[in-house]
Amino acid sequence: MAAGPDHLFNLRNNFYLGAYQTAINNSEIPNLSPEDAVERDCLVFRSYIALGSYQLVISEIDDAAATSLQAVKLLAMYLSSPANKESTISSLKEWLADSTIGNNAILRLIAGIIFMHEEDYNEALKHTHAGGTMDLHALNVQIFIKMNRSDYAEKQLRVMQQYDEDHTLTQLASAWFNLAVGGSKIQEAYLIFQDFSEKYPMTCLILNGKAVSCMQMGNFDEAETLLLEALNKDAKDPETLANLVVCSLHVGKSSSRYLSQLKLSHPGHVLVKRVSSAEDNFERAVQSIA
Amino acid sequence: MLTKFETKSNRVKGLTFHPKRPWILASLHSGVIQLWDYRMGTLIDRFDEHEGPVRGVHFHNSQPLFVSGGDDYKIKVWNYKTHRCLFTLLGHLDYIRTVQFHHENPWIVSASDDQTIRIWNWQSRTCISVLTGHNHYVMCASFHPKEDLVVSASLDQTVRVWDIGSLRKKTVSPADDLMRFTQMNSDLFGGVDAIVKYVLEGHDRGVNWASFHPTLPLIVSGADDRQVKLWRMNETKAWEVDTLRGHMNNVSSVMFHAKQDIIVSNSEDKSIRVWDATKRTGIQTFRREHDRFWILAVHPEINLLAAGHDNGMIVFKLERERPAFALSGDSLFYAKDRFLRYYEYSTQKDSQVIPIRRPGTPSLNQSPRTLSYSPTENAVLICSDLDGGSYELYIIPKDSVGRSDVVQDAKRGTGGSAVFIARNRFAVLEKSTSQVLVKNLKNEVVKKSSLPIPTDAIFYAGTGNLLCRSEDKVVIFDLQQRLVLGELQTPFVRYVVWSNDMESVALLSKHTIIIASKKLVLQCTLHETIRVKSGAWDDNGVFIYTTLNHIKYCLPNGDSGIIRTLDVPIYITKVSGNTIFCLDRDGKNRAITINATEYVFKLALLRKKYDHVMSMIRNSQLCGQAMIAYLQQKGFPEVALHFVEDERIRFNLALESGNISVAVASATQINDKDLWYRLGVEALRQGNSGIVEFAYQQTKNFERLSFLYLITGNLDKLSKLMKIAEVKNNVMGQFHNALYLGDVKERVKILENAGHLPLAYITASVHGLNDIAERLATELGDNVPSLPEGKTPSLLMPPSPVMCGGDWPLLRVMRGIFEGGLESAGRGGAVDEEEDVEGDWGEELDMVDVDGMENRDIEALLNEEENDEEGGWGVLDDLELPPELDTPKASANARTSVFVTPTQGMPVSQIWSQKSSLAAEQAAAGSFDTAMRLLHRQLGIKNFAPLKSMFLDLYSGSHSYLRALSSSPVVPLAIERGWSESSSPNVRGPPALVFDFSQLEEKLKSGYKATTSGKFTEALRLFLSILHTIPLVVVESRREVDEVKELVTLVKEYVLGLKMELKRRETKDDPVRQQELAAYFTHCNLQAPHLRLALLSAMGVCYKAKNLATAYNFAKRLLETNPVESQAKMARQVVQAAERNMTDETKLNYDFRNPFVICGSTYVPIYRGQKDISCPYCTARFVPGQEGNICTVCDLAVIGADASGLLCSPSQVR
Repeated sequence: MAAGPDHLFNLRNNFYLGAYQTAINNSEIPNLSPEDAVERDCLVFRSYIALGSYQLVISEIDDAAATSLQAVKLLAMYLSSPANKESTISSLKEWLADSTIGNNAILRLIAGIIFMHEEDYNEALKHTHAGGTMDLHALNVQIFIKMNRSDYAEKQLRVMQQYDEDHTLTQLASAWFNLAVGGSKIQEAYLIFQDFSEKYPMTCLILNGKAVSCMQMGNFDEAETLLLEALNKDAKDPETLANLVVCSLHVGKSSSRYLSQLKLSHPGHVLVKRVSSAEDNFERAVQSIA
Repeated sequence: MLTKFETKSNRVKGLTFHPKRPWILASLHSGVIQLWDYRMGTLIDRFDEHEGPVRGVHFHNSQPLFVSGGDDYKIKVWNYKTHRCLFTLLGHLDYIRTVQFHHENPWIVSASDDQTIRIWNWQSRTCISVLTGHNHYVMCASFHPKEDLVVSASLDQTVRVWDIGSLRKKTVSPADDLMRFTQMNSDLFGGVDAIVKYVLEGHDRGVNWASFHPTLPLIVSGADDRQVKLWRMNETKAWEVDTLRGHMNNVSSVMFHAKQDIIVSNSEDKSIRVWDATKRTGIQTFRREHDRFWILAVHPEINLLAAGHDNGMIVFKLERERPAFALSGDSLFYAKDRFLRYYEYSTQKDSQVIPIRRPGTPSLNQSPRTLSYSPTENAVLICSDLDGGSYELYIIPKDSVGRSDVVQDAKRGTGGSAVFIARNRFAVLEKSTSQVLVKNLKNEVVKKSSLPIPTDAIFYAGTGNLLCRSEDKVVIFDLQQRLVLGELQTPFVRYVVWSNDMESVALLSKHTIIIASKKLVLQCTLHETIRVKSGAWDDNGVFIYTTLNHIKYCLPNGDSGIIRTLDVPIYITKVSGNTIFCLDRDGKNRAITINATEYVFKLALLRKKYDHVMSMIRNSQLCGQAMIAYLQQKGFPEVALHFVEDERIRFNLALESGNISVAVASATQINDKDLWYRLGVEALRQGNSGIVEFAYQQTKNFERLSFLYLITGNLDKLSKLMKIAEVKNNVMGQFHNALYLGDVKERVKILENAGHLPLAYITASVHGLNDIAERLATELGDNVPSLPEGKTPSLLMPPSPVMCGGDWPLLRVMRGIFEGGLESAGRGGAVDEEEDVEGDWGEELDMVDVDGMENRDIEALLNEEENDEEGGWGVLDDLELPPELDTPKASANARTSVFVTPTQGMPVSQIWSQKSSLAAEQAAAGSFDTAMRLLHRQLGIKNFAPLKSMFLDLYSGSHSYLRALSSSPVVPLAIERGWSESSSPNVRGPPALVFDFSQLEEKLKSGYKATTSGKFTEALRLFLSILHTIPLVVVESRREVDEVKELVTLVKEYVLGLKMELKRRETKDDPVRQQELAAYFTHCNLQAPHLRLALLSAMGVCYKAKNLATAYNFAKRLLETNPVESQAKMARQVVQAAERNMTDETKLNYDFRNPFVICGSTYVPIYRGQKDISCPYCTARFVPGQEGNICTVCDLAVIGADASGLLCSPSQVR
């Protein structure tokens, strides 16, 4: 186990916990080794991506940058122009096939994320299943959860726990896993988010995590309070809005404002898609029954 | 052994504790008796009158007396207050070994080398008994603490117990003593006052010491045969019980401990030994290098011992008395005896939680030292010195409070110290390697981390952080980042107390308190002369701490002060407002109310909360020189002013704060010249000329006064002053004033009068007062001085002042804050005290072991697919995780080799859809077609348009959204209904639905309300929405199913009625139809108030249309319903009117005598016996012609369709 101080700890933490702006603002860390510097840049650019500043990332990373950064750029390109995603994916595949860079952990991570967006879990897992970094394992957990294979997710989680049980990603991934399997585990997820909220500054991600745990436990009133707090922090956060829609429905309040807000700011959000597909679905069903 | 105090001196032969005060007397071989304060560590006094060694010394238990006996054969009784030897008792014929006061009688017992023991009456100052029998030196003699017994030890190898019962009888009054004095001699030989009761033989060398047990009939003795013997006695005999062997040389002194069941002995072998009195085994030995021990003393009240040796003495205790405790929100966990106990501050309830130690374990200094508690997991870590430092981890079972006596099998481990650093993590210090092991609640090591400094103890420092202590500094170390967050040089820190908000920390050393921020930035340091014991933060950030004898406070800026004194040391656990909660040395919780005014005041001053300061000044009795000095020193003399009565101090403070008016008032009161002078100076500084003038007038300081008038241009007063000077015959003053006034004539006159004729002449002539000059010239005659040539004289006129009179304008900054505020009485003293937010620690987790997770359901569904993939996945299992995680290359090969992606699992919504036969759950699962088919089958619903939004809501409400990794797709999570703490994971419950029955009840109420207030459209909308929601509502019990069904019919009636009512309003031009609809409305099943309104309206409509008979009928029905008076009155009027003329103008299709239902679509009555057809869902009735249409009431179902009935509860399906 490394004994020296972990300079990137805060940066990484901020990134994982969704404090992207804080991560960017505090990224000036002196005396970093070259590897750490690349990792730092990756985290910073990934934060920018998370904030939606795709163009900035695309223009900042030039062709001379390290593979990891190129991979990050690829993600920015993929997310920024859905129209050109075919070309992005093909260059991604090209890189992955290249044996010299194909093993780059960040590249594999980005591949996993992109293929996950494509809902091609098979392809995603092809690159991520071997793990190697906490990020990759966490992504695996997420993919397996998405695939409704919590048994596999659990195995990945075990690996993470073995490596570092107290790592922020391990904790987060256990929260995801706990939420996915539900039942009594939800309380643990809640406590994990609770721990985060006591230890670190509140972020939308933590608040949403808590709120989701509350909703899963049927405690919609508390969830609403938490979500409104999150909305205060960021009025455009898609998950906050989506969860507010759900939460409002359950507490018997009108959800339409949040939904229209979400539709405006994030037309591609799952909830928006679900609602529109449900509308079609409804019409189809009416037709079929008639 | 915990040494509390040590002295260096000549050999100490005798020791005695003061029963109340922290004093000890030590008698020395050099003949000096020293009085020490062992708490402060100071020599208070010395008594030097004996010649040669003083071997025995003893304090009286209530009077300011002590007795001493020495090798000069003298027994001296001293008063330590007056520092005098009161008298000397003579009689012994050889060295005196010990002396002791009796606990109630005025007696002293002494043992001497003359082989006798003597009992003296120190009031009559006579020897009242001589106990003979020993045939060698008597080394020690002492009274029994309760009974009339004396025990003595002698070099004749015996211990003797003497009965002195008869002595007590004979000395009822002092007079007896005098009478008995004559008998002394006869008593000396074979007297009967004191008889030997037992002779204890067993030691085979001379016995040096023997003492009684404080309560039991036991004696312990120590002898030159190096043995300690324990003896027991009863009424008739005494016998040897056991021998304690171990000392390597003569045992010099031995006694029972006052509080514990132990024996303490010391010896010339330079050791003190502690023995278990029941098991009679040695527990501990303390050795010194060079010093032989000569004497022991036990404090009668508190847990202290003292031992004298060749080069001084030591005061010590055997065991730490601080109970280990940990605070958590409103509760305190602490260790007492064998138990972990729990104390709730708000209720002051104290209860036993779990036993933490098996009874009968050797127990010296192995009791818990520290305690750490994790509220969420309800786990306790107890550290003790056992096995050189170890910890025990207990999980407190739920609701076990106060029960079982069985010791839980705690998880144990060794380590310097152990503390919780997170909910389910604790850190254990490995001193040897300076490493910290982070463990989970299963006591498994999760992580190892080496510490940045050699650490000998760790403390909690916020989640995930540790405060590490070394000899001379502390650091805060973040275990995750492996970063030092803060560092501070400190003396050896003993205790660490965090403020409630974890922003500040107090580091307590033996004599120092250091307050630092959470990053260990030093805020202030306090030094105490005596030991600091404990502390806690109050809610305002004031640190309250205790020393051995005080409760004190420390403000954030380092100002400290005494709150109150203490008799015995206490350990503060929590401060809440004016109450200090603490544990005392017996492990009892106590609440002490203190007067917090002083430090709250100072804090308010410090924080510049002046409104608070003012309200405190007005409302409380704050005073005292100390407070005034403090205020002055802190630059708040104007505040101090408000506390002071004494005029002189008031004056000083007023001057200091520049408050002239107060100063004037005080100066007037005192009327002291010096004060006036100082007032004048200050007033001048401020430019307050009025007061300056006043002050000068008061001091009769005319020069200053005239100068003041000059510069302020007050010429009137100046001339007045001149007159005064004239009257007073003050020529100089007069001249000055004249000069200031520019009054030449006057000047000349003054000079003339003073006899300075030449000067007068010159003055007059220079200023052109020729007539006077001439007159003077004549008077002068020849002596006329010559005037200087070639100079033009000019009149010296005082300049006119820039500003005449008046005071200088002043900037009054402080005035606004204090004076202004203080004068406006009663204004806003209310200062918001922040409320103590109590930590809601939530419920305990019912942790299900991950291994035991139930995968049954999903697995069962997936079994088939899974079978053929087992092999492929085995590879991944083998992979586990390569230890070098950072080198992904190692795993690259594995990655490309065999990897088979598992098939996707079944989404929860699909499980829902498969499992459920309830339409709502199908809709939530997104299977709209199934839901619709169900509704069609169950309720005959065909028109789904009104249900669209509900379907969508159900579906959107069925998932929440979790952002996992950044930029990756969001994870939808199925929300399940009926969650409980004990739900097993991986077993899918039904979907949570956005509609529930209670919402409908709410809607029903508002529907009623809208109806009452006549908002029919609104009401109709509400009732319809209820009707539309019910098919998608799910309830749990059968009973609720019935309620739902009831609700359907209830709401249907309203919908029908309201629709007719609205229809009636549309058909204004058809009075007949209007009446009919109004009439039918009254036959809907409505709530009484609504029925009354319906009847009222029907009555009105019919009455207006002159259908009096029908109106009469409505009026009658209305009266039956107990209407309010206004309605009743109207009804009675209608009845009266109708009774006169019982006819109907128009014929209505309405026969109230014949029972009927109303067709939901055509609104015509369907009388009993007529054919009708109904809606399968809402049960509205229709005329047969409507069959096959969509029901106009509920707008959902097909009239007359076949349906199985409403299915809205899983209980119906089971």
